[in-house]
Amino acid sequence: MKINNLHILLALLALFATSCNLTKEVDIKLPDYERQPVVECYLEPGKPFRLLLTQSYSFFDPFGLDSTFLDKTLLSGAAVTISYNGQTDTLSNNLSVDFSPLKLFNYTGQNIVPATPGIDYTLNIRLANGTAITGTTTMLQLVPIDSVVIQFSPDIDTLARALTYITDDQSTDNYYRRLLNYSSLDSFPEQDFLVSDRVVTSKIIAFGTGYELTEGDTVFNTIYHITPAYYDYVESYQLAISGNANPFAQPSPIKSNVSGSANPLGIFTCLVYQRDTTFVRR
Amino acid sequence: MLFLLQTRNMKKIFTILLCSTLFAGTLSAQQVASVSGVLTDAQTGETLIGASVEVLSLGKGNVSNEYGFYSFSFPIGTDSVALRFTYIGFATEIRTIKPGGNIRLNVALRPEGSVLQEVVIKANVLQEKLKSTEMSVATLTTKEIKALPALFGEVDIIKILQLKPGFNAGSEGTTGLFVRGGGGDQNLIVLDEAVVYNANHLFGFFSTFNSDAVKDLKVYKGGFPAQYGGRLSSVIDVRMKEGNNQKFSGSGGLGLISSRLTLEGPIQKDKSSFIVSGRRTYADIITRQINKANQGKEDYNPIPDYYFYDLNTKVNFTLSPRDHLYLSGYFGRDVFGFKNETFNFRFDWGNATGTARWNHVFGPRLFANTTFAYSDYQYNIKNILQGFFFNLDSKVRDINTKVDFYYQPSNRHTMRFGLSSTFHDFVAARLKAGSDDGRVSFNSGQTFDGMEYGGYFADEWAINPRLKFNYGARLSAWQNEPAFYVNFEPRAAANFTLQKNWSVKASYARMNQYVHLLASSGLSLPTDIWYPSTEKVKPEISDQVALGTTYLINDKVLITWEAWYKWLQNQVDFIDGAELFGNDNLESQLAIGRGYAFSPLELEIEKKEGKLTGWIGYTLAWVKRGQFRDINNGKYFSPRFDTRHNLSVVALYNLSSRWQITATWVYTSGNIAWLPVGRLSIQGIPGEQFQPVVPVYSERNTFRYPAYTRADLGIVRKFRYKKWESDLTLSVYNATDRRNPYFIFLEPELKDTDFPGVQIPEKITAKQVSLFPILPSLTWNFKF
Repeated sequence: MKINNLHILLALLALFATSCNLTKEVDIKLPDYERQPVVECYLEPGKPFRLLLTQSYSFFDPFGLDSTFLDKTLLSGAAVTISYNGQTDTLSNNLSVDFSPLKLFNYTGQNIVPATPGIDYTLNIRLANGTAITGTTTMLQLVPIDSVVIQFSPDIDTLARALTYITDDQSTDNYYRRLLNYSSLDSFPEQDFLVSDRVVTSKIIAFGTGYELTEGDTVFNTIYHITPAYYDYVESYQLAISGNANPFAQPSPIKSNVSGSANPLGIFTCLVYQRDTTFVRR
Repeated sequence: MLFLLQTRNMKKIFTILLCSTLFAGTLSAQQVASVSGVLTDAQTGETLIGASVEVLSLGKGNVSNEYGFYSFSFPIGTDSVALRFTYIGFATEIRTIKPGGNIRLNVALRPEGSVLQEVVIKANVLQEKLKSTEMSVATLTTKEIKALPALFGEVDIIKILQLKPGFNAGSEGTTGLFVRGGGGDQNLIVLDEAVVYNANHLFGFFSTFNSDAVKDLKVYKGGFPAQYGGRLSSVIDVRMKEGNNQKFSGSGGLGLISSRLTLEGPIQKDKSSFIVSGRRTYADIITRQINKANQGKEDYNPIPDYYFYDLNTKVNFTLSPRDHLYLSGYFGRDVFGFKNETFNFRFDWGNATGTARWNHVFGPRLFANTTFAYSDYQYNIKNILQGFFFNLDSKVRDINTKVDFYYQPSNRHTMRFGLSSTFHDFVAARLKAGSDDGRVSFNSGQTFDGMEYGGYFADEWAINPRLKFNYGARLSAWQNEPAFYVNFEPRAAANFTLQKNWSVKASYARMNQYVHLLASSGLSLPTDIWYPSTEKVKPEISDQVALGTTYLINDKVLITWEAWYKWLQNQVDFIDGAELFGNDNLESQLAIGRGYAFSPLELEIEKKEGKLTGWIGYTLAWVKRGQFRDINNGKYFSPRFDTRHNLSVVALYNLSSRWQITATWVYTSGNIAWLPVGRLSIQGIPGEQFQPVVPVYSERNTFRYPAYTRADLGIVRKFRYKKWESDLTLSVYNATDRRNPYFIFLEPELKDTDFPGVQIPEKITAKQVSLFPILPSLTWNFKF
């Protein structure tokens, strides 16, 4: 569970720095960096096997904002397979877009990802330059949302909060990611929590909002049951982002669960979730 | 055990030295008379630490110890001898005695008259520094501390210490102390012999020490005396004033962010006294009024409450000519809170210490100090939302008993020996959260306790008039079931006087540290956790050797050069992406490694007397950490505070008895930083925002910030009206308004695309954030 109790201090520091003209642009030279392939592969039951294969940049590399941007970012010409239960699905190098919500993929397979928990999956990629990437993951059990309760404030009766309850299986170590969106799934998430049940001593886990909702609002609650590798991956890239902007934070290298001679970054995991859409009304 | 076997020979030698010294002391004791006593300030009754006692006819002398006690021996039959007692800032006192038997002579020295005369430093401090076996020591006077310019006018002992060579602040404006390549937790900070675990207020911008309540400060950065143990890199020994036992008096001040008031006086004249000293910030009083004035306004976000306060108290009683009792305490808290109709958040942290000390003079040669000390540091974060609660806290608590003996069998030997035991109680990141009805419950955190033991012996042996040798050892032990460690810590120091004004010195010290602060390599936070040594987290060890020379010019300017090397074992750091909170297995987040630091040149030029006083300090040093299995593939890297060059110039100039000008100038190589080398984009999962720029970090700490330079100025105007003395101090922090780097971040400029919620980066720039522009402040201090 991430706790950030310094946001107010940071906001005050930032305000002070801005008001006194204490921020300025500087020229710095960073160490040389060799570009790395980046894998994002989320196996979502009921959807085709699909994957986004891109590459990283040196930090100050210029961005190509013209039509060549995608060509420079996407890694083409790789041989990609995903194996499970004795089967192998070969993913072809085609650009596809899922508009609900908006996601882009450049490798897509023929088969549909089965929902059966416990299935092990193996990813194999051979890049055009001959280097390799591998990864493994396992399909987890769905953890359903028990209920979403809308409560209006006893002090300010126009404001409400949403409480989301799930039941945790305490016999195993479980990890969850909770995303909360208002208005649409493409909106900026209002909450993004990573939770390990190591600290949960009750069977029930509750996720709450503040009293900030009003009648007519729509709340999208998504509870992902995630693997430890994905938990580490998300936590590490969130730390990498905060470590760059926050002097109190310790940065982190990205913890990937893909490896191989291509020296890749990224994640290969299953995406098991339940989503609840709630309209705020009395 | 293996180590103990290896050191058996060393222990044999040590035992022989100890026995022979005691025997020699006994023999000589049969042929001499002695004079001993306590030196005090005649105006306040405060004991004088480090005052000089000199036998004029012999040209030999001694200094009073940290309890004001001194002792000196004469051959029986000597004619009357004149003793000269001196202490800078005090009138010299000469007493004539007829040696015979054991004479007890308490002497009260009178301060030399001046406006706002503060209790000052060691007597003949430069001469003493020249002659002493002690090296790697920094001393400060309350006079210097109060006169020098300060951030927001808040006088701060620790920030003045940062101007001394060998000390590094870590980052601007904070009270961080990184001493000779040591970590921020490797400083033993004791206030009246009780450990202060977190000597910070306001996230490190101010220290917990109220200068009005401080009598004396002595800092060791190497060559540690055997009576100290438990930390690797420095000892900061702060002693509180005892209170004026002659008359009721007070002092205080009004500053930009806080006010201070100290009251002291006799409980029974000459026999007992008290002192109470308090300090509090008042920004919250103003912000509450602002919030009140804007109450009900739409779009107004109330400013959270923040304040800190300190309270120091001390009483002392002379129970008999041989017994003195001191009771002292400190309590300080920072409070940060926010409350409205639906939200109640409070974050408070602070230290509490209490000390009871009994000084007993057994005889002219033996003095004992028995201490019972309590200290705790804790933080609590509480948040209450209707129906739900969240509490997070950590705590470390010590209960310490110790006895220290000071024994002077002859003028050539001054021995110290003692025993101590400390009970430690830890609560590490205890999280309790859930619903009021109990349906939802989160719990995590660990509790530990441990026992730390120490025993030591040391002898300062004046082998001949030119050569002094201080040898000793400390045996320390740590018990935290099932872990049990015993460590032998040899200490040695020598001073060889080449000429009357020139000496060379050398020292060696091994230190062990059994408690560790789990802090990220970012900035110090009150939520950093103290953690005990366990089976996996072994005691930290340091070995430091130092070589130096001291040269005194015209009894006025002292030049000290030292070179040192420090080896560090069992250093504790976080693995990448460590998770501290909500984790019942903190050790899984730790990496254990080694380190080293060295300096071929640590130079200080001091001038303590005359119209112009001050010092110039310069350090050229290298600091490395490495061999952490889970960090940088075991490769060595520079910690944040590995600044190559540190130069400071401090000057105080008395224009007249009423006007004083002060200035400081600091140059430091830039801090080390961990900046990203690459970037990638992550589109994420449904409901997650597209992350156009995710930094890629590779090896730790490969970037050095630009150099840091700052000049501060101060002007002090002193006033006197009847019994009232006061001064106005104008401080100008960062007088040249230079923009120094506090941190650098890489900022992408993002451009919207046709797809909702998707932005792509257009350009990336490096931005430097500075913390403080030019900051003038005015402080009014008074005394009656």
